[in-house]
Amino acid sequence: MIGYIESVINGILMGSIYGLTAVGLTLIFGVMKVVNFAHGSILMVGMFAAYWFITLTGVNPYLALVVVVPLLYFFGYYMQKIVIKPIFEAEKHVREPITVIIVTTGIWYVLDNLALLVFGAEFRVAQTSVTGKMVEVAEMYFPLAKIIGTGITLLLGVYLYWFLKHSRMGKAVRATSLDREAATLMGIKQSRIYNIVFGMGCACCGVAACVLVPFYYVYPTVGVPFDIKAFVIVVLGGLGSIPGAILGGVIIGIIETVGAQFMAATWTEMLIYAFFLVVLFVKPSGLFGLRQDY
Amino acid sequence: MNLKKFIVPAVVLAMGTASFSAYAAEKVVKIGNILPLSGPSASVGIQGKQAREMAVDEINKAGGIKALGGAKLKLLFADSKGDPTTGVTETERFISTEKVSIVTGAWNSSVTYPSTQVAERYGVPFVVPVSVRDTITERGFKNVFRIAAKDSWWTRDQFRFLSDMQKEFKTPIKKVAFVYENGDWGTGFAEKWRELAKAAGYQVVLDEPYPSTASDLTPVVLKLKRSNPDVVFMTSNAADAILLTKTMTDLKVNVKAIVTSGGGHADPSYLAAVGKSAEYLFDIVEWETDLNRPGLKETNEKFKKLYGYNLTGEAVDAYASMYLVKDVLERAKSTDPNALRAALASTNLCGGKTGLLAYNCIQFDQTGQNRNASLVIVQVRSGKDGKMERITVWPKNVRRAGYKVVFPQPNK
Repeated sequence: MIGYIESVINGILMGSIYGLTAVGLTLIFGVMKVVNFAHGSILMVGMFAAYWFITLTGVNPYLALVVVVPLLYFFGYYMQKIVIKPIFEAEKHVREPITVIIVTTGIWYVLDNLALLVFGAEFRVAQTSVTGKMVEVAEMYFPLAKIIGTGITLLLGVYLYWFLKHSRMGKAVRATSLDREAATLMGIKQSRIYNIVFGMGCACCGVAACVLVPFYYVYPTVGVPFDIKAFVIVVLGGLGSIPGAILGGVIIGIIETVGAQFMAATWTEMLIYAFFLVVLFVKPSGLFGLRQDY
Repeated sequence: MNLKKFIVPAVVLAMGTASFSAYAAEKVVKIGNILPLSGPSASVGIQGKQAREMAVDEINKAGGIKALGGAKLKLLFADSKGDPTTGVTETERFISTEKVSIVTGAWNSSVTYPSTQVAERYGVPFVVPVSVRDTITERGFKNVFRIAAKDSWWTRDQFRFLSDMQKEFKTPIKKVAFVYENGDWGTGFAEKWRELAKAAGYQVVLDEPYPSTASDLTPVVLKLKRSNPDVVFMTSNAADAILLTKTMTDLKVNVKAIVTSGGGHADPSYLAAVGKSAEYLFDIVEWETDLNRPGLKETNEKFKKLYGYNLTGEAVDAYASMYLVKDVLERAKSTDPNALRAALASTNLCGGKTGLLAYNCIQFDQTGQNRNASLVIVQVRSGKDGKMERITVWPKNVRRAGYKVVFPQPNK
């Protein structure tokens, strides 16, 4: 019995970190209606930044947040401004710009291969003060790094929720997300909002990267396994919904961990997609999705 | 007109060369070598080429083949590019045009498999230093002789190692667990493990395939911990090997031994990434530079001086194969294929330059497989500088001098 409780809690911990990796994706989609295929690569860039910062300075790994998050924000901000915006403008009358998706795929390939070229195909693991630290509760062990990660996920979720609901900028972001033209007529500069949202989406990847580095390996294609999960999570939780992304992540984490206790780990992947299909049948807009979007 | 002018002298020249080499054949024994000298497996091909050249140089300097009046060995190389069709054509060329006495090669199993078929058809002996596919020596061929261990022996040796360890340390092992990636490689190993465990009377408490691309392997490790095995057998690629090793240390999975299957666990970046978490792990390999063999250090030094890198498993097998060829020629006292085949089949080559291998003697069984070929088990330990090191521990005769094996491993 205790083994199953341990599995469920471990599932929730890893699941909320999956949710964290998906927050940036859902934010960008919710506002720009663009599926960002470079999402996993941006996570990878964040992980390398965090890895080098932690390894070279040897400080507490979570201090990396102070450096990596702004870095990724500006990375995203200028990537949108310089690379994506011109394509966007060419397609500004289309609701879901397809060419932009292709551009993000291009960014994914460029970033992954650039990392391969610069850092080589080596697996790196950061040695930090929380690496390998376990919290023991009644003969159950939980990694400290994942517990901290879950806490950070919740804080980020609450902050983003407050930001979008109550801040002036957040309101402008929501207005743009609901109706681009109307928002522009109200004096909101659409391209600036897009730059900021893309920057924020990337900054969320930066947070996820700092959470992952203390217990995960860093590798040029490390984003790929998280990428696929993030897409499932985002659709499951409802495209554009931040609580949906975190909850979707937790659900997938629990299915993956608990499912593996009853069957071979190979089959849990099937279980995740089966559950995903059922949700799409019953509620096509996802758990927290808005109806009018589809 | 111009073409004719060119062709006639060319033909004359060719005839001249042919008759010249026929004349020289008294003093030279030609050996055809098919290796991947370009393409994805070029680095091992080049290792094999250089090791052969060093061995042949030594043999020729020492007076060549005495039974053939001091005849010198002459190496011919063909680049297979790792491509089966090229391998077949080059074997044809070696045998029918170059008239080689023995063919060796070809590293890539996919090239060796059809190339040996050509040699069998012509009745020319084909020595295979390394190529792992089992079926290469399982087709009832009379002319194919393999020095290195075959694929299925990897799992066989993992279990032999385990039974030897139990005897040496008087620690009984009852429960085993299998954790493996769900591709061809992992499931192939698991199939053999199941049979071997049954034959050895172990109880299999967990038989767990997992996807190599998994983002989190905590679920697998939790399950492993609950099944409480004495020994875990693992087959992993690099990324999953890292996740499993770290998570097993974190969750304090205590077992008597972890036995892995090369691949990800042999990747140099694996040890660098997991560090101390990998301590006491046992991994299986073909060959390791720290083997406790007479003359290995000197040969390695000479090789390093010539080519700038340490001997590898591939290089040592290739090196030994040339001394095997010498031994066979000495005993056959001719280059007649029938005499060579008979001499190869009755090989009993022990010590000397072939002693660099992990085992004592080369002897071929009915199928042409070297019956003594074995693999090597290393244990991972942290060295003085904190770097992780792979130390040879099994078979016992090649164990690093003075090393004490840690078995069972201490609790975490």
